[in-house]
Amino acid sequence: MTMVSKTYESVTEGEVLPLISYTVNLHSLVKYAAATWDFHRYHYDAEFAKSVGMPAPFADGQMFGALLARLVMSWAGRDAFMRRLQYRQNATVFADETIIVTGQVRRKSMDGGKPVIHVVMAVTKADGTSVIRDATAQVELAPEAAPSAAMQRDEAQ
Amino acid sequence: MIKATSNPELLSWIGREATYTAREELGRASIRYFALAIDDDNPLYRDADYAAESRYGGIVAPPTLICETNQFAGETEDSNGYIGHHWDLPINNGRFMRGSNDYEFFHPVLPTDRVTVKWKITEIYERKTRKLGTLIFVSSVASYHNQDGKLLATNKETNIYQP
Repeated sequence: MTMVSKTYESVTEGEVLPLISYTVNLHSLVKYAAATWDFHRYHYDAEFAKSVGMPAPFADGQMFGALLARLVMSWAGRDAFMRRLQYRQNATVFADETIIVTGQVRRKSMDGGKPVIHVVMAVTKADGTSVIRDATAQVELAPEAAPSAAMQRDEAQ
Repeated sequence: MIKATSNPELLSWIGREATYTAREELGRASIRYFALAIDDDNPLYRDADYAAESRYGGIVAPPTLICETNQFAGETEDSNGYIGHHWDLPINNGRFMRGSNDYEFFHPVLPTDRVTVKWKITEIYERKTRKLGTLIFVSSVASYHNQDGKLLATNKETNIYQP
């Protein structure tokens, strides 16, 4: 698989990022819990979740941060660097719910000679319930004139 | 309505810190596993040849990976199965909700980074809500440094407790 690095010129304000559809279920909850060493029972044990007043096992809020970062980094390509990611969670996502992660370019700017893209994002359940609205990310693209690390290495040889 | 919590014992927690240092380097396996866990097929996290051509010159971690600090904390498993960082706040009942996260990233995180996270409670306050009654908001900031003392990222986080 190859991914094209976005260039500053190629990005347009208002551009819509390819969305992510993600189903939270015991399978995906266990995968994320394991990868983040989060063995709390309320992420995978239905009876335990009920005992603490939740209807079903549920996703940790930082999972949405990971998905928002995935959305932006996949779109921005190989040389992207995430500078900032902000979001507020309004609803809990339980096992067997599907969420849609969406994003749109709000604006682009040069910051100290570095190209920065500002993206606004949302996480919404399939039934329309808002989980996160107005999440924001700032992603830096590679300076177009600067040689890549690989090129610098080649030149040094 | 917002007010500082009336519980003086709880207020005394503002300013408390907790620091954890990872026992080992992050490693490429952890990076690939995290990407796998969220169905992230970005080759920057798993394809060394592809990543070598990037500005980074090699594989880097997905942005929020190191903000998941259970791996570094290495606490003893509690009765809920949890081994991560938590504040043993004097709040009865454990209903806990995520409020918000504000991550700032300053340097790419490499597989060779050995991370130290420092948590600090910055604010505790109550807010009355119509649906859920009085809620307690606990804000903290985490900073993540590598073995060379380089600041990799910060995470301002607010969590909500329903007492």
